[in-house]
Amino acid sequence: MTAKTRYFVIASLLVMFVGLGTGLVAYYVGFPATAFFNHSGPDELKYLPRNASLVGSVEVREIMASDLRQRLRQAMGPEQDTGRRQFQELTGINFETDIERVVGGFDAGGPAGNNGLVIARGVFDNVKIEALMREHGAQVQDYKGKRLVIADHFGDIDKFADPNVNPEPRPTDSSFALAFMEPGLVGFGSTALVQHAIDLHTSGGESAATNEELVAHVRALEGGNAWVVGRMDVLRSKTKLPEVVANQLPPVTWFGFRGRVDGGLQALVTAEAKDDDSANMLRDVVRGFLALAKLQTSSKPEFQRFVQSLQLGGTGKTVSLSLDVPAQVFDALGAALPKSPAFPNQPPQ
Amino acid sequence: MTNPSVLSSAFRVFEFSFGQMLWSRRSVFLGLLVGAPMAIAFAVRMVAVTRGLPVINGAGLSGATLFGILIWLLFVRFIVPVLGVFYGTSLIADEVDDKTITYLFTRPVPRSAVLLGKYFSYLACVVLLVLPSVVVVYFLIVPIGSSIGESFPSLVADLGMLAVGLAAYGALFAFVGAQLKRPLIAGLVFAFGWESTVLLIPGYLKRLSVAYYLQALVPHVMPADSSAISALLQVFQELPTVATSLICLTAITVGALWLAGRAVETREYVLEQ
Repeated sequence: MTAKTRYFVIASLLVMFVGLGTGLVAYYVGFPATAFFNHSGPDELKYLPRNASLVGSVEVREIMASDLRQRLRQAMGPEQDTGRRQFQELTGINFETDIERVVGGFDAGGPAGNNGLVIARGVFDNVKIEALMREHGAQVQDYKGKRLVIADHFGDIDKFADPNVNPEPRPTDSSFALAFMEPGLVGFGSTALVQHAIDLHTSGGESAATNEELVAHVRALEGGNAWVVGRMDVLRSKTKLPEVVANQLPPVTWFGFRGRVDGGLQALVTAEAKDDDSANMLRDVVRGFLALAKLQTSSKPEFQRFVQSLQLGGTGKTVSLSLDVPAQVFDALGAALPKSPAFPNQPPQ
Repeated sequence: MTNPSVLSSAFRVFEFSFGQMLWSRRSVFLGLLVGAPMAIAFAVRMVAVTRGLPVINGAGLSGATLFGILIWLLFVRFIVPVLGVFYGTSLIADEVDDKTITYLFTRPVPRSAVLLGKYFSYLACVVLLVLPSVVVVYFLIVPIGSSIGESFPSLVADLGMLAVGLAAYGALFAFVGAQLKRPLIAGLVFAFGWESTVLLIPGYLKRLSVAYYLQALVPHVMPADSSAISALLQVFQELPTVATSLICLTAITVGALWLAGRAVETREYVLEQ
């Protein structure tokens, strides 16, 4: 054997042994998900709790600027701007232009009704937002050098407006807070989770970004401008569903959703079943529904293309359903829907 | 003086033919063949970093799924049979074409040892090139949305399956090369005509192919879709057990090698002048 051949054999065996050795270590010890791949979801994940059972992200600016959104806006007319204007008056935030991205998490283990956290990145007028919230009865506290605006209730403006009208005790575990974490980054949600996000921001620690399993599912859904990943088993165990309903739900452990809104809409719903058999059963059920939908829409061409774009897929324990709706389908659907009498003179879109 | 045994003679043949085979012109083709999946994997990795992986047949692709597709479509269905055909058929045919077989057969070693030694050279050559290529592809692709630790057992199974496949195809085509005068055409027809066709035909005919036993060892499942063809294929899909596959592939390898050895021992090779 010549020296050249010997070097080739050594190099080849080295690649094999290093590869298999690395794989073996990963198999027994586990690697951080980011060891070989740094693209692991948005940065805001590091402010969400590690045990979040539902995590989602929306690229708000991208969606707001999309062709589809512009078409819908024109189709719906000026009435849909009322809500946006009210929100802007209340918070000083223009949803169309000020928010770049929103990342949210939900911790099913927290106190009922108050276990969500939203991290928003964009351009915010901190002074105006704080002033508006204070006008509505919120209080400002300092927490680890960050200004924390705490309100006891959210969503009912009347309750904010006059605290004397609602003199009931304010439990601290149901309060909401807003914190300006850094320029252009706002955290809003349950006070405990916002404080936890500030803790993670200032001193780091275990977060959703270090949850290997969660990050792996988030990465599997990359490519859209909105996604949601959740643990169905945890949510089911923490949510008091009627037994009849709970028994009918398939044994799904993880579920995910990815959407891409541009000229049209592409969406992907995934579910990870307990085992291959459960996944096959789930596929059969979905296949049945798809067949039914195709049958029902056979006489309605405007819906046919929509139903035909539904594709069932997935391998092993994963079941997926994808949807690809081009802009023309929305045009056809819009034409098929009855026109709103509120805007009789609006030109057809 | 006692005659050397077949195995020790085969080892001698292996020693000189391994380097010869590795640095032959045919190895450029082999290098391109195993380099292509690595290039594809690198490109996929770049795309995944910048734009994310696409959706195929409704399934959101993860690194592990994509690796399975590459293993199935590129390695099992293409690279392994191609290597088997090109190298296996040439083990004896090349010596005949070069008119050098006389020199080998005049050595004091059994004729079958020449074939066996060359077969082991082929096996070492392709295994040392193909398996590291698979490992590189694995580490480029699988970290995209999948865990290395979780999918490691499937890598080991893939490597084993590919080694068994290379051995089986190599032995089969070594027999074809030793028996037929134009072995390459017959080999290509078998690998890409017969094997691809019988897998789609319901019944027992598929049992007369190597791919049928090899696909039972593939740990990956292709992404399912709801099309009629896919449903039809699932109905007709019948896979042997892993044990059956291993036994049959071993039988094919040993049987083909024995037949090839017999062919070399008994056949009169007429060199064209």
